Amino acid sequence: MDIHFEKVEVRFEGRTVIHPLDLTIGGRRVGIIGLNGSGKTTLARMINGLVKPSSGRVTVNGFDTVERQDEARGQSGFIFQNPQNQIILPLLREDIALGLKSRKLTKQEVTAAVDAILDRFGIKHLGDRRAHELSGGELQLAALASVLVTEPKILVMDEPTNQLDLKNRNLVEKTIRTLPEDVIVISHDLDLVAGLDRVLLVHEGRIAADGGPGEVIGLYRAMQGAKA
Amino acid sequence: MATRDLVLSALFAAIIVALGLVPPIMLGFIPVPITAQSLGVMLAGVVLGAKRGTISVLLVLVLAAIGLPVLSGGRGGLAVFMAPTTGYLIGWVFAVLTTGYLSQLLVSHSQAGFVQTVNFFVAALFGGVIVLYVCGISYLALVTGLGFSKAFMGSLAFIPGDILKAVIAALAGRAVMVGYPLLPQRT
Amino acid sequence: MRSLHIDGNSVLHRLPAAAKLAALAVISLVLFMIDNAGFLAGAALAGLAGHVLLRISATEIWRRMRPFVLIVVVVALFTAVFNGTGEGLTAFFRLAALALFASLVTATTTTGDFIGVITRAAMPLERLGLLKARDVGLSIGLVIRFVPEILSRYEVIRDAHYARGLKPRPVSLIVPLIITTLKSADEIAAAIDARGIRSQK
Ligand SMILES: Nc1ncnc2c1ncn2[C@@H]1O[C@H](COP(=O)(O)OP(=O)(O)O)[C@@H](O)[C@H]1O
Ligand SMILES: [Mg+2]
Repeated sequence: MDIHFEKVEVRFEGRTVIHPLDLTIGGRRVGIIGLNGSGKTTLARMINGLVKPSSGRVTVNGFDTVERQDEARGQSGFIFQNPQNQIILPLLREDIALGLKSRKLTKQEVTAAVDAILDRFGIKHLGDRRAHELSGGELQLAALASVLVTEPKILVMDEPTNQLDLKNRNLVEKTIRTLPEDVIVISHDLDLVAGLDRVLLVHEGRIAADGGPGEVIGLYRAMQGAKA
Repeated sequence: MATRDLVLSALFAAIIVALGLVPPIMLGFIPVPITAQSLGVMLAGVVLGAKRGTISVLLVLVLAAIGLPVLSGGRGGLAVFMAPTTGYLIGWVFAVLTTGYLSQLLVSHSQAGFVQTVNFFVAALFGGVIVLYVCGISYLALVTGLGFSKAFMGSLAFIPGDILKAVIAALAGRAVMVGYPLLPQRT
Repeated sequence: MRSLHIDGNSVLHRLPAAAKLAALAVISLVLFMIDNAGFLAGAALAGLAGHVLLRISATEIWRRMRPFVLIVVVVALFTAVFNGTGEGLTAFFRLAALALFASLVTATTTTGDFIGVITRAAMPLERLGLLKARDVGLSIGLVIRFVPEILSRYEVIRDAHYARGLKPRPVSLIVPLIITTLKSADEIAAAIDARGIRSQK
C-alpha cells in the first residue's frame, strides 16, 4: 500500500482533532495504537474518504480521497468498530452481493463470488442467516466477507477484537495474519498489534511514535506508566 | 440525498414498524394503553422534520404494499390500501409532512424547553390529528358513501387517544432534540 | 417478518407483477363504478374462489382477511342503518371483493418482484433528479434488516426500567429507543459509503 498524508489537519466544530501532519504509510501490516479520543479513527477514516481533511490532502495508491473519491475508496475496505452496523441487508448473502452491484455481473457470477468469499472465511453456513442473529465473532467474519468481496487492496480495521471473546479474538488474529491484503489495524489489543510490521502511536492528534511494534508499544506503556 | 439522511429515514421507518409490533404501552396518569404506531408517525415528523420524516412513512407504506405485515396487528398487503380505513393510512403521509414542516417552522434551539415542547405539540396536533382525520374521514365518507357527518361520528371515539399521542410525541420530540439533535436538517 | 407472499407456480404467480398491479387497479375501478349488489357479491365470490384455486387453506384465508372483517362489517352496518339494507349489502360485498382481489396479488408476488416494479417506476423520477431508483431497494432492505434489531433494543430498554424498579412509560421508553437507533445511522451511512454502494451509476 502507498498512502500519503500531506499537511493534513482535521477540525471538528472548530476543535483541532488532528494537528497538521505529514505521513507515509507503506508496507504490509501497520498498527495504530493510542488512547481513546486520540484521533485514531479519524486518521483511519480519512483513508476511505469518510472524513475529509480540513486542510491538506490524502492520497491512496495515487488517488486523492477528495478529488478521485470513488477510485480512492475502491482501493480500501473498512471494517467499523461496531460490525453490527456494517451489515446493511437482512441476509448475509444479499448483503455481500450488494457490494458487487456495480460490476454488471450475471446472477451466476454474483452467486459464485459470494460463495467463494463465504468459503474463504469458513462461514458458508451463515449465508442465509439473518444478520441480527449472528454472534460477535460471526459478525466480524461476515463484515470481512462483505468488504473483501470487492477485492480492495488495503483493509482498514477499527478495533476488530474489542468486543470478542478469546476464541473469536484468536480467530480474528489468525485471519489478519493470513490475509493477502495489506492491513491497517487500529487496536487496544497490544498482543495483536505486536505481530504487525510497523506501529504508529497517536497521541492528542499527533503521531507520537512510529516504528517497530516492540519499540512503539514499549514507549506507549512507558508513557502511561510515567503518568500513573 | 445524503446517505446519512437515507439511513435516518430507513431507521425511522424501522422504528415505526417496531412500534406496531410491541405490546401497547400503559400511560402513567390514566390507565389507557397506547398503541404506538400512529405515535411513530408523529414522532417521525418532530424528530426528522418534513423531508426525511415523509420518506420514512412512505417507506413503511411501501413495505406494507409489497406484502410485509408491517402495520399494527400484523396487517399488510395491498388489501390495506383497499379498505374503508385506507384514508388514515394515506393520511399518514400528509400528517408527517405537516408535523415535520411545522416543527421546523416553529421550534428553534434558542427557545426555552417549555416553548419547544408546546410548539412540538402544536405541530403534532395539527399534522398528526387534524390533517390525519381530515384525510381519514374524507376517504371514509366518499369511498363508502356514508357521508361526512356519519364518517365523522364514527371516528370521534379515537380522537382523545390521538391527542394524548400528540402530547407524548411533543415530550419525546423535545427530549430527542436535546439528546441527539437532528433539526435543523444538516445539508 | 414473514411476507404475505405464498410460494407457488400458478398462472397468477407467473404473471409479471406490473400486469397484476394494473389489473388490480382496473378491477377496483370497476368495483367502485358498479352499484349492483348481485354483481359485487359475484366478484367477492370470484376473489374467494381465486384463493381456493391457489390451494390457500381456509385458516390462512381467515388469517389474511381477519384484520379487515371488523371494519368492513362496521361500515356495512353503518351504511345499512342510515342508507338502507340494499346499500349496506353493496358496501359489504364491494369492500370484501376489494380486499380479496388485493390479497390475491399479494399472495402471488414476491417482495423482490415488487421491488423490481417500484425501482422501474422510480426511473422517471430519477431522471428528474428527485431520487435514485436503486435507493428504493436499499432502503427497503435496511428497514427489514433493522426491525429485529430495534425490537431487541426495545426489550433491553424496557428491562432496564424493571431492573431499576421503574415502570416503563411511553416517553422514557421511546426517547432512548430513538436516540440509540438514530445514533447508529452515522456508522451505517459510513459503511454504505465506504463500500461505494451508492456511488455507482
Ligand atoms: N464527527 C465528529 N464530530 C465532532 N467531533 C468528533 C467527530 N468524530 C470524532 N470527533 C472527536 O475527535 C476526537 C478523536 O476521535 P476519534 O478519532 O474517534 O478517536 P479514537 O478513535 O482514537 O478513540 C475525539 O475527541 C472525538 O470526540
Ligand atoms: Mg476509535
